[in-house]
Amino acid sequence: MAPLVEARATPLLEARSIIKRFGGLTAVSDVNFVIEKNSITGLIGPNGAGKTTFFNMITGLYTPTEGDMIFDGERINGLKPSQVTARGIGRTFQNIRLFANLTALENVMVGQHCRMKTSLVGTLLRTSAMRREEATVKARGLRLLDYVGLGSRFADETAKNLPYGDQRRLEIARALATDPKLLLLDEPTAGMNPKETDALTALIREVRDSYESPSRNEKGLTVLLIEHDMKVVMGISERVTVLDRGIKIAEGLPHEVQSNENVIEAYLGKGHAAKGKGGGGVIKNQRTDSKNQPAS
Amino acid sequence: MPKPVRVGLLALITSTLFMWIFGNQGAQVIVITALLITVLTVVGSVFYEKQLESILSTPVLPGLIGLLIVSVFISQLSGLSIIGVVIGGMVAGLLFSHLSLMPRPMSIGLITGLASAAFLSVFALQDHPVLILGGLVAGAYGALLASPMSVTIKSGLLTGLVGIVFVLTYANERPSIAIIGALLGGISAGLLASQKQHRDTPGQGAIQGAIAGGIAGLSTVAALLLVWQFIAGASGISALEFAEELKETVPGAHALGLGSDISTMLLLIVMSLAAAVLVGALIGAARTVSGPTGNLLVYAVLGAVVLSLPWIDRAANLQLLNAIIPVFVFILLALGLNIVVGYAGLLDLGYAAFFAIGAYTTGMLSSPHLGINLNFWLVVWIAAAVAAVAGLILGAPTLPLRGDYLAIVTLGFGEIVPIVFRNLGGGGATGSLSLSFLNWKLLDQLDLTGGPSGITPITPPKLPLVGVFTPANQIPWFYLIVAILVFTIFFINRLRGSRQGRAWTAMREDELAADAMGINIVRTKLMAFSMGATFSGFAGAFYGAFIGSIFPSSFEFSVSIVVLCMVILGGLGNMAGVIVGGLLIMGADRMILPEAANLIRDIAQTKTGSNDIAAYQDLTQLRLLLFGLVLVVMMAIRPEGLLPSARRKAELHPDDDTRKQEDSDLYDAERDPHLAGR
Repeated sequence: MAPLVEARATPLLEARSIIKRFGGLTAVSDVNFVIEKNSITGLIGPNGAGKTTFFNMITGLYTPTEGDMIFDGERINGLKPSQVTARGIGRTFQNIRLFANLTALENVMVGQHCRMKTSLVGTLLRTSAMRREEATVKARGLRLLDYVGLGSRFADETAKNLPYGDQRRLEIARALATDPKLLLLDEPTAGMNPKETDALTALIREVRDSYESPSRNEKGLTVLLIEHDMKVVMGISERVTVLDRGIKIAEGLPHEVQSNENVIEAYLGKGHAAKGKGGGGVIKNQRTDSKNQPAS
Repeated sequence: MPKPVRVGLLALITSTLFMWIFGNQGAQVIVITALLITVLTVVGSVFYEKQLESILSTPVLPGLIGLLIVSVFISQLSGLSIIGVVIGGMVAGLLFSHLSLMPRPMSIGLITGLASAAFLSVFALQDHPVLILGGLVAGAYGALLASPMSVTIKSGLLTGLVGIVFVLTYANERPSIAIIGALLGGISAGLLASQKQHRDTPGQGAIQGAIAGGIAGLSTVAALLLVWQFIAGASGISALEFAEELKETVPGAHALGLGSDISTMLLLIVMSLAAAVLVGALIGAARTVSGPTGNLLVYAVLGAVVLSLPWIDRAANLQLLNAIIPVFVFILLALGLNIVVGYAGLLDLGYAAFFAIGAYTTGMLSSPHLGINLNFWLVVWIAAAVAAVAGLILGAPTLPLRGDYLAIVTLGFGEIVPIVFRNLGGGGATGSLSLSFLNWKLLDQLDLTGGPSGITPITPPKLPLVGVFTPANQIPWFYLIVAILVFTIFFINRLRGSRQGRAWTAMREDELAADAMGINIVRTKLMAFSMGATFSGFAGAFYGAFIGSIFPSSFEFSVSIVVLCMVILGGLGNMAGVIVGGLLIMGADRMILPEAANLIRDIAQTKTGSNDIAAYQDLTQLRLLLFGLVLVVMMAIRPEGLLPSARRKAELHPDDDTRKQEDSDLYDAERDPHLAGR
């Protein structure tokens, strides 16, 4: 199968002809998708477009009905969420899913679970290796809280008592704690006011550029975000992919996508698109359209 | 004249008239009605209003109509005159409908007093002076507890109940129980007082603890005097016999050459008070020291009290160990179940299965039954390992299940395991195992488990200096179970604060999110089942060896439920709470209820000459009813348990500030044009 986008290097994540059916409903239909290393990619689309389904297939909550999900050169579909996380994909949730009654620090420490090595025997005997690891994990937890702008003053605060915006940040810190290569953010700015949105956008950029992995000798990571807020997506993403009713209808640079008729139609309805293109058959033709789009 | 006084006078006049007209039965009627109304008001207020006052201040007329119906019902049941019941009911109704107008101590005292009198009348003490006296004393205590006073004194009065209950049930035959009662009351008083009000210096802490402990000791001593003067006589023990018991059981009475019962009694009182004050002061002082040293000191004091128990028991000839040891076994079970239910949030209703597996492993490997007679010290580890593996095997099918479904499947396992053990032996065609391969008979009529009659005898453990553990000397058994408990607490404590413990908590909070954060759910769940099972394997091995024989009927469903009750009553997820819950429930079950039942039987015999009492008067028959009631009331008024973990408490009582935060988020969302447009 010919690559849809000419890759500059080996892509970090590649979705090959992914299909997901729930009974008779096809939620995601034959989507091809590539994420470059160290990029910020936006995944947008109207409600019910299949964005979160696609996300859940990457993170192992769903298994694709057909197609392959390749992460870092390895096929990951069929793996359990915890195994996917161990391979380096961290995520946040659309509706915040922190461990509400654990403290902020404990949340971040739980995130580091899959990077810890202490066995049951080590725990019971409280070996020096175990104590050292606990100390490291705690120190890194505090650093991560600091990094996302929560600061250690909130470390011992129960997660559910944090303000809404800080809960979103804590979720990002917890995802970073799993030491991901790819960070998936599901509507990270949902429910935030413009000021908080700006600050969070800056944080996402900062994470992409300067995140320091404890295990790999490289700076930064790759981000894939779902977002409803067009302003956020267009401002932050280097590439944008648009899904509509489970089908990829456009892909490219933000400004290209913004002026794409299919996208405008998907978001605003047929009448608006008609002005540009003159009539029906748009959805039917879309796959050819997106294939014809120049690679950037 | 203020209304409460008027009502009170009215009630007094009516009830006097009423007693005069109907004679002896009158008191019973009043008391039964009052009991019913107490229950109804308490239950009603707990479920519908959550506060006593509002339901009690409802208009009188509907209440009276309700009472009329209840009265007819009672008169039908009891065969008493309906007029008597109605009048009695009205008196009680008037009293209760105006409870809210009284000061709180008075109303609480009244309720306690009437409820106790009702309790006494149901349980064989249909002796009016005793009934009235009991009601008055209990009422006064209730009123005292409800009145405003310093935290220290209140702690002492509250925990003094422990000593009171022990003394009331035991002291007619073993007066020196007062020492144990005062010791337990004193240490709880010290702990409670320091919990409610923190002191800064050890000196202040010691004084606070000593006062609280002293109050608890005084309550115990008061109960002792009550037993001496009234209850012992009522239970058929003459003053002479009681004096004899005093001399035999009070440690040091012989050595000091005390002759008269009063001097022995004084010695006992002094010893009880000294014990209560001493432990109260020690624990109070230890609690003021912060950090690990402080914890160590508190553990040291608690440990000293626990370790001294068998020697006090022996010196005072109390023979309590036979009851205390099973209590500790059940606490061990509860600590194990707490891992599964409290930490990992997996509701396991079949926990007794692992207890059975541990016990049967010991039975099979350490008795002449199969001819394998391994050393107990080896078998205890094998039993724990077998239970751990069983935890994995029984846990595996439940992995995809959550909540109710998990509970149902574990319930099934809990039923299956004892039945399997019952059917794997006993001889005959069905009760034995035969297995042949081609023509070789691998197993021929093997009786594996002894069937319904179980395995007996199980070889007791043996230690170099101690020798063979025997039923006659239970001190080694006591120290063995305490050692196992300490070992268990130590390791569970390590697990809780570790990577594994965090994984359990995270899984309980949000399984999906935990999975997405890289926690292997399968492994984490199986680990919880397996670790929980391990500790019940220890419990099973010890229990089998201690009892000396095991039967399938020792591991039925009620065991799982009682252990679960202990965990829930004490506080899910908190080891201290689970231990307290275990002490209360099993202490009541194995120590208080049987003794109380004996006492009631003795009193009945003294009064009527017959040993028969009605089934509803036998407290040991009512144990499950009582546990059920306790659990229902706890769930309604304090779902997080007596000593909850901070986390559970937060879950069940969302803080007001969280709610405020949510409200303000909503408000922002409505007002924010950016969001409103979405």
